[in-house]
Amino acid sequence: MAHGIVNRVVPASAFALGLVRAIVHGTFLISVLFTSFSALGSLPATILRPTGAMKLLPWGFYDHLQTPPGMLILKSAMVLSLLLGALGFLTVLTTKTSFLLVLFYQGLLRSFGHFNHDEMVAVYFLLVLAFTPCGDAFSIDSRLRKTKNERPLFAYAYPILLMQLLLAWTYFSSALIKLRVAGWKYLSPDNLPSLAIFHSLDNLHDTGFRLAFWLPQVKEYLPVAVGFVLVWELLFPLAIFWRRLRWWILGVGIIFHLATLFLMNIFFPHHLAMYLIFINWDRFSPHKHGPSASKT
Amino acid sequence: MIISKITNWLAPNDDRERRLVIKYAVLTVAIFLPLVWSFLSIRNLYPITAWNVMMAGGDLERGRSYCVLRGETVSGETIDIRPIKLTNALYSRTWTMVNATIGNQSFKLASIHPGNEELVRRYGGVENLPPGVRLPDLLHVWGDLYNKQLPESSPQRLKAIRLDLYRWESGRYADYDKFIETWRTEL
Repeated sequence: MAHGIVNRVVPASAFALGLVRAIVHGTFLISVLFTSFSALGSLPATILRPTGAMKLLPWGFYDHLQTPPGMLILKSAMVLSLLLGALGFLTVLTTKTSFLLVLFYQGLLRSFGHFNHDEMVAVYFLLVLAFTPCGDAFSIDSRLRKTKNERPLFAYAYPILLMQLLLAWTYFSSALIKLRVAGWKYLSPDNLPSLAIFHSLDNLHDTGFRLAFWLPQVKEYLPVAVGFVLVWELLFPLAIFWRRLRWWILGVGIIFHLATLFLMNIFFPHHLAMYLIFINWDRFSPHKHGPSASKT
Repeated sequence: MIISKITNWLAPNDDRERRLVIKYAVLTVAIFLPLVWSFLSIRNLYPITAWNVMMAGGDLERGRSYCVLRGETVSGETIDIRPIKLTNALYSRTWTMVNATIGNQSFKLASIHPGNEELVRRYGGVENLPPGVRLPDLLHVWGDLYNKQLPESSPQRLKAIRLDLYRWESGRYADYDKFIETWRTEL
């Protein structure tokens, strides 16, 4: 019964899960390809503040890594692993190496700056993919395999549901934390303008939009806008189970993240890319239920 | 009927399916248990994440400091430099890296870098370190990366790079740029 429900609410095919694997690995691959690792390797290790699990590694390791050649090795390993993961070659291995390499790299970046959240949900997606049969279709492995894997549809549907739940959790828990920490003060008219202006004053943010300085003129309307965002975050889990509402919820999400870019110079591109998990990829499948799945 | 459905669910058709259900249950618990802990304690312990982005909201009464990175060119101009164009890996993180470097946060860890230990010894304690004691190293890297983008003969090359610290005293939406301090490095 539970299998049936899961299979109905999310795409249930090896093809859909394979496509999701390609999207998540591809997102990180593009991001890594456009990043200058040699510049990152020029930064002094003495300003590092290893965070969480990154504290387990010795300083000697960071000293060797935090050099342009060290970073070139890391970049090469990441590109190779993510490329093979995206293509679905040696998937059982490359999904795991991609997860570990990205996990390490993201930890390194957070050890320089702060624990920002843009890429985190995609890192969790990599973890899910590393332990699920995401190479059974839409992969080189499936082309090379002589015998087909016989698995129930649930094997492909549940990981997609898990990833949708993770994405919904990010918004839902974020709204609850705001209400716990700030309470009704979060709806104060000065909340958004003061935050947005602070993030628009320096030139250390990635963009230099100045729209924030217009917000004080309309601040009496802002509690309504902030309240709307809180309600939207709380309702985000409905996007999983209610398809009619899904596109409205995701549409508001896109507008919300664009608004934070123009008003606060803060953007979550990796997080936004993960919205693709909500598309019913089965529609694009050459075989309605995937090439190898048995119905359950 | 409900009981039969629950029994159905708990006892899937064959061993292979049962193993799959157990595997996915373990995966789900392994992911969500730490996330729930992180949520309840509102604590990020990498890679365990609490989605606490801007949880406290903005407060107009609270003053805030911010920095502007600038370069002094060979031709005598002062130009604004966006560090994202130099170290794009630090996307979304540059401003907190700079704040932490100004606050000597890398000296306040349980285990600090041997190079930093040496510096602490020289100053006679963490409390004696001047603010941003490692900033010159960071500025030097940024200055060199900037100059590498230009030909040797370019008048746009930098002869010095500096970080200017300002404060928005706040309380009102004005007077955003009270100058506080500067760190300057010759290249």
